Amino acid sequence: MTTVLQLSNVSKIYAGVPALDRVTLSVPGNSYVSLLGPSGSGKTTLLRVIAGFEEPDRGSVTLDGKRIDGTPAHRRGIGFVFQTFALFPHLSVARNVAFGLENRETGPSLDAAAIRRKVAEMIDLVGLKGLEDRGVTQISGGQRQRVALARTLVTEPRLVLLDEPLGALDANLRTRMRGELRAIRERLGVTFLHVTGSETEALAMGDTVIVLDRGHVGQIDGPDALYNRPASPAVARFLNCYNLFEGRLGDGAFVSPVGALPLPPRAEPLGGGPAYAVRYDRVEVRPPNAPVAPDEVGITGAFVASEYTGSSVLSFFQLPDGRVFEVEDHLSHRAPPVYAPQETYGLVWKRDAALVFA
Amino acid sequence: MHSTVIKPILAVYTGLFLLFLYGPLLVLAILSFQTGPEGGPQFPIIEWSTYWYQHLFGLTPPSRIAPLPIEESLVRSLVLAVATMIVSTVLGVSAAQAFRTRFRGSGVVFYLIVLGMMVPGVLVGLGMALVANTLGIDRHWWGTAFVLHVVYTFPFAFLVMLAIFNRFDQSMEEAAWSLGVSPARTFRKVTFPLIFPGVLSAMLFAFTLSYDEFSRTLFASGRDLTLPLAIYGTFSVEIHPNVFAFGVLTTLFSFALLGVYAVLMTLSVRRAKRVAIQEDA
Repeated sequence: MTTVLQLSNVSKIYAGVPALDRVTLSVPGNSYVSLLGPSGSGKTTLLRVIAGFEEPDRGSVTLDGKRIDGTPAHRRGIGFVFQTFALFPHLSVARNVAFGLENRETGPSLDAAAIRRKVAEMIDLVGLKGLEDRGVTQISGGQRQRVALARTLVTEPRLVLLDEPLGALDANLRTRMRGELRAIRERLGVTFLHVTGSETEALAMGDTVIVLDRGHVGQIDGPDALYNRPASPAVARFLNCYNLFEGRLGDGAFVSPVGALPLPPRAEPLGGGPAYAVRYDRVEVRPPNAPVAPDEVGITGAFVASEYTGSSVLSFFQLPDGRVFEVEDHLSHRAPPVYAPQETYGLVWKRDAALVFA
Repeated sequence: MHSTVIKPILAVYTGLFLLFLYGPLLVLAILSFQTGPEGGPQFPIIEWSTYWYQHLFGLTPPSRIAPLPIEESLVRSLVLAVATMIVSTVLGVSAAQAFRTRFRGSGVVFYLIVLGMMVPGVLVGLGMALVANTLGIDRHWWGTAFVLHVVYTFPFAFLVMLAIFNRFDQSMEEAAWSLGVSPARTFRKVTFPLIFPGVLSAMLFAFTLSYDEFSRTLFASGRDLTLPLAIYGTFSVEIHPNVFAFGVLTTLFSFALLGVYAVLMTLSVRRAKRVAIQEDA
């Protein structure tokens, strides 16, 4: 696959605090890439550096093999969709979409008829037909999102940066726009780089997911690989589906505050630790005195509360050292569990279900 | 506190405030309808008439009272106010635009600009006269006085625009850049239409402040007088109600100006208001 965007050792420092720390990554062409990071991880800064709203202090940004750091934003050919949409409030829907074609500095010059045709096509593609003459203040949030997208896509950028594009929409609309964003991208064949703080959104949208951790790249992987084998405890923490124990690697076991946890049989520790991680849905809850098989790991915890989400139940247990341990039961293959508050239970998982970070 | 106490007190206070604000104007307006040419600028009204208004426009038979020497000074003041308005607004908008990014020494520059409206006018006027004399520059209303008017009104325009830019969403400009539109064209097509209500306010400030500027102009304008100076000059001889008649007409002119401003403002704010309503919904 060809590389559209390449960042090498990009650093950006604000008032002595590094927002980006030697970020190196490449974005393949014709793909959907999500960039996941908690707030403060530098993901918006990274996007603004790529777009040209900020310049990196060090490192290079390359688009299609040409260095673009130092080039002003309007000569980069990179589209940007803002979380707040940033539509032009004094222009109608159609005039917003036509704005780039009518006013841009470079690019093929089009006559009025050609612009009208392209704008009409794009408005049709994003499903805004019939709203052309509305003011952008007279349409709903989801429609504004589409205008922002159409306005960017009609200028045919090589790469579109989306800064938490679904953040301002309500949950229902967000799910629908996920599918539409993917469909629109596939039809046009451009590359989307989608920044989000939501791990479910990142996993659902991206062909590739980039995890940003305090200014540097934590992992670049496919969603499936990322979910099942996070490269570091920090990445595992963002994914919000792993119980993590700190401690140290001992002889055949991981020494944690709740006791020695036997290592998985074919242990090839990952980096960034030491830590021991087990996914919420890999844990089984048993009576406290039930036997633990040799290929299993068992600890005990007191039931605190549970959270019903429809397709699954998330239960919280307090371990002897005070930390909270989470267990997820998928209701499709287990009956809804009933646990007694403050009662102690056995928490058991297969040894090879755990991940160990050295 | 009980509103039964507070409310009447506030009502009296507001009434007094309005009385002091509009009382002098009202007295002026009443006295301007004094009969002429024998009627003077004091009560009682001998007979109601529009004599002094006719006198202003030279429609009365010649009498011992000379017509107000305001014709040329009125034109001068209007030209000066318009020129000051244009220059100060352009400077104010550009300076405020520059202040959107904190550049080195921006704090010092800010106070230097604002100083123009803080220092006493008489001092600046006198200083300008001295400097002009030393350097051998002739003092004129369109030269030395014009510079002082700009120095005085520019900070007002600047502060108005600073407040406007403070609330301006920069991502709209960034969005335009990312569409391939140059910063200069973005300013013309996106920024300026959106800050236009603020520009109108800055223009109004600059115009009205320049139009009735007195202390700075007194020393810096040289031989040809502006309107405030010309009117003051007539006081030193003898006051006739024709000055009051002119005051009434000037006030009406100001109200007309405010009316134009209000109409323009309503037109350009209506859109912004729709935004706000939509955001709430």
